[in-house]
Amino acid sequence: MSGGTAIVTGAAGGLGGRIGEGLAAAGHELLLVDLDPAVEEVAAAEGTRAVVADLTKADGVAAVVAAAGEDVAVLVNNAGITRDARATKMSEADFAAVIEINLVAAMRLTLALEPHYRDGAAVINMSSRASLGNFGQANYSASKSGLVGFGRALAQQWAPRVRVNAVAPSLVDTPMTQAMPPEVLAKMVARIPAGRIGTPDDVAGIVAFLASPQASYITGQVLFACGGRSVAP
Amino acid sequence: MSVLSGAVSEEQGKVEPFVLRPAAVGDDIDAVAPLLTAAFAEVRAALEAGRPVAVVVDARDLLGQRSPLDAGVATALLGMVRTFGIEGAKPGWRVNVIAGGEGDDDAVEATIATLPASPLTGQLLQVGGANLGKVVP
Repeated sequence: MSGGTAIVTGAAGGLGGRIGEGLAAAGHELLLVDLDPAVEEVAAAEGTRAVVADLTKADGVAAVVAAAGEDVAVLVNNAGITRDARATKMSEADFAAVIEINLVAAMRLTLALEPHYRDGAAVINMSSRASLGNFGQANYSASKSGLVGFGRALAQQWAPRVRVNAVAPSLVDTPMTQAMPPEVLAKMVARIPAGRIGTPDDVAGIVAFLASPQASYITGQVLFACGGRSVAP
Repeated sequence: MSVLSGAVSEEQGKVEPFVLRPAAVGDDIDAVAPLLTAAFAEVRAALEAGRPVAVVVDARDLLGQRSPLDAGVATALLGMVRTFGIEGAKPGWRVNVIAGGEGDDDAVEATIATLPASPLTGQLLQVGGANLGKVVP
């Protein structure tokens, strides 16, 4: 039996691409999804398929569902944006945009794929350490915390057929964090007990584990992969 | 405590807690972002006006025991409140989530009544027994 299809959203980014590589190595056929057409180059390099889609739109979700086939083994809801500002300065448009993309789009795709999951499939939501609260990220922390609750409910409704879990990283070395002022980044890394920024490989390895049969008894959970940041001062 | 807070709120209407009770969205996915965005704007406005805020959710939604979309809303509000708590340290905002289950309405109301005199902020206040022995959301 083949490994089935693994769908990764936000796959044009550094983290999504690496997550895809890990799932391909585990024997899954990849379907890489992104709003950014660059996802087609990532897929070509991997020899896999890509869909360019806006998951906040019904036709974008439909395009992914159509391409997904009838044997979806893994869905990784990785697509996300940030629109940081203190709450007092945050526009309602920026709050709504982050919720729509990070949370509601993931809800739409996850639910639309329900008839397509194979027995034993795994949904993995990319949450964040910031789901516990983070200065300047009222929108982002809401979106990433929302994914946790959504996944907990699905884990119970879809058990034992489909498992649903979340990964909550802290800072990960991607173009998003590389764009931050170095002194700001250094200050944030200093608060991580592990003493370094997380790597895409750190996260990809955890996603591959949660997708694997070794994690078949894990559902409805959040795994904090944040170098200890969630418990540090 | 409730008598005291009642007296305070009558004399100084400003400290009357703002209580946000999100409507159930059920399976209406289009309602999720507008509801959360409105919650953000309303909670912020109340905090900037100096009022303590209670966001009341169902403990069962925090654990995902009912509608997946309502679970998403409840936990999203918790994440938002925690961030408001962090950002509000200097201005002295007091904003919390209160979670009760079935039959806990009186306990929720009693907890809300303590807020005007309470220093708590950024907390998840779980009343009743629905969450005992369960994971902390």
